[in-house]
Amino acid sequence: MDRASAAAAQAERELAYYRRECNDLGARLLRLQEEQSQAFREARRSRTVAKLIREAHRIADQCGAPEEIGGPMLEVILENALCDCAALLYRDQSGPDPERHFRIAHSVGLETERPGSSVFIPSAPSFFFTTSRTSIEPPAYELMGVLRVPYILWAHDRATGHALILGNRMEGNVTRPFDEGDQELVEGALSVYIDVLLRKQAEMELRAAKAAAEEAGALRGRFLATLSHELRTPLNAIIGFSEMLSANARREVTRDERIAYSGQILESGRSLLALINDILDYSSLSHAAPLLRPEWLSPQQVVGGVISEAGAMALAQEVTLEAHWPETPLLLSVDHLRFRQVLRNLVSNAVKFTPPGGRVAVTTVARSAGGAAIVVSDTGIGMRAEDIPRALEPFQQIDGGHARAFPGAGLGLPIAKGLVEAHGGELLIESRLGTGTSVTIVLPPDRVRERPAS
Amino acid sequence: MRVAFTRNSDPELAARQCGAALAEGGGTPSLLMVFCGGKLDPRRVRASLVAQFGPVPLVGGAAAGAISRTGLGYSGFELGVIGFFDPAMTPRIMTVRDLDAGVFEAGATLGAAVRDMIAAPAVVLLLFDSVASSLPPRLHHASSIVAGFSEGVGDAPACLLGGGLLTDMNLTDAWVFDGEGVSKHSAVALVFPPDIVAETVILHGCRPVSAFMEITRIEGAEVFELDGEPALAVIERMLGLRLGGARGQELSLLATLGEKQGDLFAPYDENAYVNRLILRANPETGSVTLFEPDFARGSHVQIMSRDNTLMLDSVRRGVAELMRKIAGRENLFALYIDCAGRASVRSGAPVEEAELVLHGMDPALPFLGFYSGVEIAPFNGEHSKPLDWTGVLTVLQRRR
Repeated sequence: MDRASAAAAQAERELAYYRRECNDLGARLLRLQEEQSQAFREARRSRTVAKLIREAHRIADQCGAPEEIGGPMLEVILENALCDCAALLYRDQSGPDPERHFRIAHSVGLETERPGSSVFIPSAPSFFFTTSRTSIEPPAYELMGVLRVPYILWAHDRATGHALILGNRMEGNVTRPFDEGDQELVEGALSVYIDVLLRKQAEMELRAAKAAAEEAGALRGRFLATLSHELRTPLNAIIGFSEMLSANARREVTRDERIAYSGQILESGRSLLALINDILDYSSLSHAAPLLRPEWLSPQQVVGGVISEAGAMALAQEVTLEAHWPETPLLLSVDHLRFRQVLRNLVSNAVKFTPPGGRVAVTTVARSAGGAAIVVSDTGIGMRAEDIPRALEPFQQIDGGHARAFPGAGLGLPIAKGLVEAHGGELLIESRLGTGTSVTIVLPPDRVRERPAS
Repeated sequence: MRVAFTRNSDPELAARQCGAALAEGGGTPSLLMVFCGGKLDPRRVRASLVAQFGPVPLVGGAAAGAISRTGLGYSGFELGVIGFFDPAMTPRIMTVRDLDAGVFEAGATLGAAVRDMIAAPAVVLLLFDSVASSLPPRLHHASSIVAGFSEGVGDAPACLLGGGLLTDMNLTDAWVFDGEGVSKHSAVALVFPPDIVAETVILHGCRPVSAFMEITRIEGAEVFELDGEPALAVIERMLGLRLGGARGQELSLLATLGEKQGDLFAPYDENAYVNRLILRANPETGSVTLFEPDFARGSHVQIMSRDNTLMLDSVRRGVAELMRKIAGRENLFALYIDCAGRASVRSGAPVEEAELVLHGMDPALPFLGFYSGVEIAPFNGEHSKPLDWTGVLTVLQRRR
């Protein structure tokens, strides 16, 4: 071998050496690079729960109700775990088999929206995942069906009944297949969700309790104000007329005056008694449903008596009072005394708030959907739409300048509403200021039947 | 031009939020360019935007994620919208809807249409459906579209930029807002008025980790042999991994093949490399399938490592260079077409390189980016090429 050939051979060897070293070092660099990347990717996944904890409180603060939390939380989970889809579920306590039926509360990433749909999971495990090596048998089969993807990661909290499931369409996803190491991720995410959900629920309950306490305080204030007024007026009459009738009176009253004053005292006493009865009635209704003694009665029996009772008042007010009966004879299953109390209140209110020359009608009709409606309508002063809810609350005085012109404790309508609801019915009010009011008692189908022809 | 971005799992709400942001300045857009997370229903997004703005054309499509000054992400619920409110700045739209019948031919049709449309130099933005099928994974090759486009456009002065659309980082699917609706196997070319020019920088991040190897057998995008050895065996040896089954899909996370342009033995220059991601490994044939079929037998390639440190350095350098170039110009808008593989969740980078881009940009310049399957940009001052694992950052500006 001459020197040139030897040099060329040496150069070849040298080149081969450098190529080999280059490739070996390159391979090591590549592997180091990949290990570093994998470590960062894993760290990112493991930071998911920490990020979720930070985000969860922000989400909870932004959401108005507990049921609004799940959607945004799932989005955070999905973004950090880099999954295709996810859902939050809860054990369906209202279903036939709460142990095995779940409902989807929230879902993201599914092709069709499925919140509310029911899924059957016979034996829900606390933790589960699938890979390409998982046998398609329970619970894998049922859990894969929740999101309709083959690769899932599942956690279930037995104590609260909540579950979280993440899913991928492909196993070789952006990071790697699911494995045992993902238990911390999915269980951590689920427990953060449950914590925030329970916190929000407690917050809502506290707010509701606070609102109820404030309402109770306001109610007590209105009660005292109204009661003191309603008590004072008849008591003043009783005391004043009693003084005038007493032996120490400054002047002697005539026989006619004595009769008139005694009548005033009696009327004021009755008024006080009615007020106290109303208060006791409302109080008992607000604590428990009244014990009803229903019997099958015709509308004429129920309504007719009330019309007769109110006739004198209507005559005095110069208001026309009329009754209309259903085309098909009906029987109503109602507590006679209590239902008359309802109608008496509605009819007397209608007459009271209708100016002379007006008309009050009580109409009974069968409803096409079943049941019956008794409508007390008038051509009276009416109410604004926004005042209707207040009219159904106790001790409320509707604005408009006529409140004191028509005295009362404001308990009649709330009592009527309570009694109608105790019958399984509804009390509906429609009204227009200056035009009139229509109060409808809706009785459910089981309290109405056709009267036999005999 | 105005930009809006939001992230919301409700497509109508997302569209309404973006619409409200765009409407703040008043006026009616003449075109909306929309990049829509793959988990959002594109038809509901489109319907909601049309309901807000009337029958405005929507172009764009699925994006694995979106990047904006107000947020970035790749959850699939991102929605980024660019509103063109000045008709004089609004691009014209050309669409082809038959990529599945022939990608090259579709590109040629677009190129010919663009040639007929432009008399003066014009910026053309090409957005297309990247995914031909997901099972098995098959792409609409950008290199074929670009080759067809180049043939069709001939010597007409078109500056081609673009990106491949896809719904997520797993190449599950893609779809296109094509100006009239939502379609599959489509490409849309936006031809900007001649008054607009583009200043572009390509951000890299790969470095060779092997000596040069010759491709000794290749069919389309499938590389069978390197230096006479089964390509998969060579790569497995380099990685110290056995690839197969699910791990075959992971390969695109690990390495790329790079072809150095120009003098092979010139000092390392990131701008000299065209990289090709590996779509999958095929253990039964010992081959690997690349994202693009544009390497040939006899090509000298190197195995490239995706180097996160290099990627972040490249971003810092590239953005600073672009900012220097555009200083003092009437800059209209910045668009960032960012390979989805560069997102930290996939690359494992300690910070989002897109955040570095945002950090380096002039905050007054309207900006929107999207995560893409492939990027197209003028390469080394020559014709445009499709690129893998790059970020293409473009600033559209008014011609001087």
